[in-house]
Amino acid sequence: MPTNTPTRLATGVPAALAGEGVRRRRHTDYVTVGLWISLLISAAVWALPFIFMFLTSVKSRADVSSLPTWALPTEWAWTNYADAVETGDLWVTGANSLLIAVVKVPLGILLAAAAAFALGRLRFRWHRVLLCVFAVGSMVPIQIGLGPLFNTMLSLDLLDSRAGLVLPYLAFGIPYQIFMLYGFFRAIPDELEESARVDGASTFRIFWQICLPLAKPALAALFILDFVATWNEYAIATTLLQSQDHWTIPLAVQGFSSQHSTDYGALNAFIFMSAIPVLIVYLLFQRYFVQGAFAGAVKG
Amino acid sequence: MTVLDPVGTRSAQPAKRRRDRRFLRALPYLLPAAVLYVWFLAYPMLDAVRLSFYEWSGFRSEDPEFVGLSNYERMLTADPVFWTSLKNSIIWVVLSLLVPMTLSLVLALALNQKMAGRNVFRAVFYIPAVFASITVAAMWRWIYNPTLGAVNQILEGVGLGSWTQQWLGDPDIALYSVFVAAVWQGVGFTMVLFLAGLQQVPQELIDAAKVDGAGRWQVFKAVTLPALRPTTVVVVILTIINSLKVFDLIVGMTGGGPAQSTQVLALWSYTQSFSNHSFGMGGAVATVLLLLSLCLVVPYMIWSMKGEEH
Repeated sequence: MPTNTPTRLATGVPAALAGEGVRRRRHTDYVTVGLWISLLISAAVWALPFIFMFLTSVKSRADVSSLPTWALPTEWAWTNYADAVETGDLWVTGANSLLIAVVKVPLGILLAAAAAFALGRLRFRWHRVLLCVFAVGSMVPIQIGLGPLFNTMLSLDLLDSRAGLVLPYLAFGIPYQIFMLYGFFRAIPDELEESARVDGASTFRIFWQICLPLAKPALAALFILDFVATWNEYAIATTLLQSQDHWTIPLAVQGFSSQHSTDYGALNAFIFMSAIPVLIVYLLFQRYFVQGAFAGAVKG
Repeated sequence: MTVLDPVGTRSAQPAKRRRDRRFLRALPYLLPAAVLYVWFLAYPMLDAVRLSFYEWSGFRSEDPEFVGLSNYERMLTADPVFWTSLKNSIIWVVLSLLVPMTLSLVLALALNQKMAGRNVFRAVFYIPAVFASITVAAMWRWIYNPTLGAVNQILEGVGLGSWTQQWLGDPDIALYSVFVAAVWQGVGFTMVLFLAGLQQVPQELIDAAKVDGAGRWQVFKAVTLPALRPTTVVVVILTIINSLKVFDLIVGMTGGGPAQSTQVLALWSYTQSFSNHSFGMGGAVATVLLLLSLCLVVPYMIWSMKGEEH
């Protein structure tokens, strides 16, 4: 696509545009073309690490140490991928991460939605103060509490277990989600709720059948964000998980890169594979990311 | 709605009962989230503050011993790494406000124009943001490898062999090397926030300004920039907060070294607690970090709550 675009830009100016308009048009066009070229260069720089990663992931050890990073491999060593799956225990760690994300993400969003509903629709006396307390929690660095969190999990006998990881994950994910959903629920017109109540709808029905469906775009955006964040979380996992059988993907990546630090072919293959789920999620919901699903997060 | 009724008005009693009823109705919806929040987030953080007044190795066989302020005294007077990490955290915040923020604003403005390949460009800048920081760290540690890494090889390749460095091994530049990786990873997310903000710039205003003969720069200055102000506040706050949270990248790339030159508060607190077996000292560093964060977050919350009331 990039090669044919400049011509398209150039011919994009309607040739029939007559008189005084032409000069002005052409002027802006140069600006656009210049902008486009500089974007192309920056994007190329940005993509470079990925290109190098890919090239290295298909190089044998000998090629990695003898060829420059940008060179094509003398023979394509696809076995790196199989080796990386083996050495990095990709199936086990991937299953752990997936299990945690599949349990944690929907559950967390549901609990956050319920709380946001309580704060935003059932406005009781201290709802605003409570919202602030939650919001503050979403912004404070998690590392502050890691030491005591370790002790808490130890005393609950939940250290080094996947269930033990889900609990703090829920706690650290919920505040931000409450903050975001609160705005959505607040924006629902009161008349809607009132007429439902007149029709005899219970509070739960108002939550489940009116508020939740209306917040669908926000819920979808939160789902993506939270899935990616959960899949990628490292600090809590490294504090609470010990045995390799329970490792999540980020721990496996870190373990791989510190134990097999010179096996760059397999390492890069592993890194690629470790990101496949988040890349799939990203590609599926690309439109959301790019076209302002975050509008709710950025309050205007 | 939540404003207190003046005490003694006739309606005070029933109103109070009504509010109690409202609260009781809200409680089941609120409770699960609140319990999780208190138990696994708020309590550990406050407990870190408590532990900062104790001396404790973290082993269960041993009881924490109350030592008053002596952890703080040690941290401030006898722990040079604390000062390094404070300095580095501040450097990180300042750099993050200057470099990636500007870059992502420029990118958002550029990619808000209609142009060929716009979505591909957006994707290229955004995709690093979906990678785990620890993964980005592993990638960049390889990129910075003195002999096998891309950076030094490219410098050699273009005849700038004298510029090659021990990017992560030289205490003077290691922090900045890590920061480059953070910029590469972080720009996309901020760009998306700015792009979302730009969708809220009223197109009629831009058109009106153009009809009035305003150039690109004038439109930007008079229309776009003021309309972006709320977004910018959010981005600034998030940037500062995320800078204070930097942890994974540093663990993965340098582990705080060489010679503690890339140590930051979040990691130093962790290292003191878990590697140096001093939960008291770790708690003291954590308390400093907590206070720093609250100094930023609380005013922001008050500002945004005020905005919401109007």
